[in-house]
Amino acid sequence: MKSAGAIQKNTEKRASHDVLFSLCENAADKLILLVLLGSVLLFILWPIACIALRSLRGADGGVSFAMFGTVLRQCGESLRNSVFVGVFTAVLSTILSLSAALVCATARGWKKTLCMIIMLVAMVSPPFVSSLAYIQLYGRRGWITYRLLHLSLNPYNRWGVILMQSISFVPLNAMFLSGILEKLDEGSLRSARDLGASGGVILRDIVLPLIRPATLVCLLLSFVRSLADFGTPIIIGGRFSTLAADIYLQVVGYSDLEKSSAMNMFLLIPSIVFFFVYRALMRRSDRLTDASRTAQTELGLLLPHCGAMGWGMIALSTVFFVMIVLQYGCVFLSGFLKSTKGVYSFTLQYWDQLWRIGSSTMLRSVEYALIVSIAGTVFAMLFAYYMDRRRIIGRSLFDCLATLPYMLPGTCFGIGYILAFNHAPLKLTGTALIVLANMLFKQLPTSTKICTASLALLPEVQERSARDLGAGRLAVLRDVVFPALRPAFLSCFVYNFTSSMTTAGSIIFLIDAKRQLAVFKLFDAVYQGDYALASLIASVITVIVLLVEGLAFLITRKGENRRVSRT
Amino acid sequence: MKKLFSLLLCVVMVLSLVACGSKTDDTQTPDEPQDTAPELSGTMKVVATGDVYGPLFDAFTADTGVEVECLSMSSGEVLSKLRAEGGTPSADLWFGGGIDAFMSAKDDGLLEPVTFDAAAELGDEYKDTEGYWYSKGITIVGFLLNNSLMEELGLTAPESWDDLTDSQYEGEIVMSNPAVSGTNYAVVNALLQAKGDQGWDYFEALNSNIAYYGKRGSDPKNKVSSGEFAVGISYIDASIEQAAEENDLTIVYPSDGMPWVPEGVAVFKNAENVDAAKYFVEWLFSSDDHLRQLAEIEQKNGIKVIKPSIEGIELSYDPTLLMTEDLSLFGSQRTEILDRFEPLMGDKAAAE
Repeated sequence: MKSAGAIQKNTEKRASHDVLFSLCENAADKLILLVLLGSVLLFILWPIACIALRSLRGADGGVSFAMFGTVLRQCGESLRNSVFVGVFTAVLSTILSLSAALVCATARGWKKTLCMIIMLVAMVSPPFVSSLAYIQLYGRRGWITYRLLHLSLNPYNRWGVILMQSISFVPLNAMFLSGILEKLDEGSLRSARDLGASGGVILRDIVLPLIRPATLVCLLLSFVRSLADFGTPIIIGGRFSTLAADIYLQVVGYSDLEKSSAMNMFLLIPSIVFFFVYRALMRRSDRLTDASRTAQTELGLLLPHCGAMGWGMIALSTVFFVMIVLQYGCVFLSGFLKSTKGVYSFTLQYWDQLWRIGSSTMLRSVEYALIVSIAGTVFAMLFAYYMDRRRIIGRSLFDCLATLPYMLPGTCFGIGYILAFNHAPLKLTGTALIVLANMLFKQLPTSTKICTASLALLPEVQERSARDLGAGRLAVLRDVVFPALRPAFLSCFVYNFTSSMTTAGSIIFLIDAKRQLAVFKLFDAVYQGDYALASLIASVITVIVLLVEGLAFLITRKGENRRVSRT
Repeated sequence: MKKLFSLLLCVVMVLSLVACGSKTDDTQTPDEPQDTAPELSGTMKVVATGDVYGPLFDAFTADTGVEVECLSMSSGEVLSKLRAEGGTPSADLWFGGGIDAFMSAKDDGLLEPVTFDAAAELGDEYKDTEGYWYSKGITIVGFLLNNSLMEELGLTAPESWDDLTDSQYEGEIVMSNPAVSGTNYAVVNALLQAKGDQGWDYFEALNSNIAYYGKRGSDPKNKVSSGEFAVGISYIDASIEQAAEENDLTIVYPSDGMPWVPEGVAVFKNAENVDAAKYFVEWLFSSDDHLRQLAEIEQKNGIKVIKPSIEGIELSYDPTLLMTEDLSLFGSQRTEILDRFEPLMGDKAAAE
């Protein structure tokens, strides 16, 4: 029983609401953008600028380029080594990732589940411990090489570094490739089959060419990651050293910040080149895959029917899966084994040591990881959206900036934070914020890439039509963009959580005695040579990460089901 | 309603971005108020070489009411962090680590001098003349042999540093990079001092037997314990004696002398709780009880060398075996020696 007047009044009220709302919405939109760009400038550009400035500091405190000359003279060999390892690692890791991704995408039933589980476990990969497991398995007294095969091999060389890096990069690469494989245009596969093409031909002539840009991206990602990795070469490099390992040594052995900063600048050059190549390749990849195909059906291809190449891939990934299982089995067992005169016996003594570390450290790690993964995922989603879909001045600059933390060895990103945030008004050292920010921005490059890839699935037309129908910018974000990013949310969250629990390099210098983290204890145990304790901490971290990931998976699954049943 | 919701959502989103900052900001204010008055209060932050010192710090807390927070870091990391912090250190007390890092920090003006009466009882070479650092013990270096591997390879046990250059040990010796390990830096500096002009020839010869230079101080011990290499140049203490027992290793105290290095204690200049840290140094060295407790925790007895008057601690080795070292050279020669040593550590395969 409403009178006409009341209805009109109501409409007027709503109209004024709308104006007010759109004003607010615009303001909020600008504010979000400002916060995003400001944070990138503050937490990425500023620390890196501090490192750059430090590299120019001469002995007398003035500006000097002398350090670059010194570095150029002295580090030629390590730079060559870095490139050597980088190239081999990139190729080997990409071949393995491609095989593993194809096996995962084409396997059925329990085989698929098994592959997925192994990949998920391998993704956790606590630092240093896998290298230690490698020595324990394949070293001069290795369980496999010596005890089983009676070989005495020297594992401390460049090939050890290449093998270990390649294996540890596979899970992330394979996850990326699987995402692309799922987007492949099923139609061309089906028509090729209808025209009588055999599995091998389809694989060689259709699937592989279609994912060539993605494969190249994989190569590049692995190459840059290998350049920045210092943990593997310091543990299994022996006399062989890379630039990243040398930078680490400069920091912990010589405490020479000027020199290590200058060396970092050298690492940044190939990385920036990489960034632009990467962008060009990603654009091509988006064109080749079918953006509108959202149904994630299995790839209609059976590898065993794909001839020699198919079998080769199956064999390679089997070797890879077996190695991963051995490696993690070895890490897990090491926590419970005690060697007395070469004879192993079961022990719980390391458990007691683990308890001394205290559950508060573990809980804090989980808490920080949760904060970083939620805040980081939201940040990455917003950042990817604003960078990808909105025409912002200086877009490629910001995009490039957000990629930089990926290229720097973690230790240096940490030192950069101390240089940048130890003086008023930006005094953040000794707080939890600096650790959280460091984790978030160290992981931003990859989380942004995950979100961008997912965003590519959303045709821009949908956003534009929503805008044309009168939706505000934030409404588009909420009702169009975020739902489309739902799958990215899970992988982004998983990636962020895993990395936060396992990244040691960058936070070694930022941790405060009051707020220690499990991964710091792990690093300390490795440093002190307590392998058993290190293995145990690593196992606990792995279990925690898997539990949280499982939980996150269940929650999103449930949300998805509810959404589906409602529509 | 839907619009209201989206407005709410955007406000919440913006707030949560801001809140990420402000929420954690609250925790940065210290739990206890900072007090510069002579009576001690607040928290003392320590960087130490290990996690084991809890009981000693608890005793300090019981005596003074100062809470102690301890973080484990190697001396090279501490030095890098100090330099990056540029004069506003995040810790108060530096507890343990090779003395060369302390000398270097003193030269950079990063330490605060401490003076107290009991310092007179400490041997002159174990403290800085101006009180910038003190030694809480010494680390000695010897050889660690894996008996079963020695037997399998048919090697005779080396007895002296000179024995190590024998070609039978080729590729079977591990030592740590002297830039990373204070103990192995002591080996290099002490042997160079002892051998004079022939010093570098010695390290050239030794180098051809060394498999690789570990990038962690614990590498030689671990690699020999696990049977990967036959001979390790390693620090020797009670924990090594225990490992030797468990893993069938032999400890060799070289007959031509053991290099050694004092482990430093110092207070950081401009530290937040400089008074507590200064008092801690005095508290520790003025009481034999505290020193004995420390020796028990560390399972080391080197304090007997530093403070000969202390009772109830006996050395487990013959102190005349310790090499004669001019410690003042440890700091001043560090850069020069490491620069000359660096090419030795390179990849032999690549050099050929």
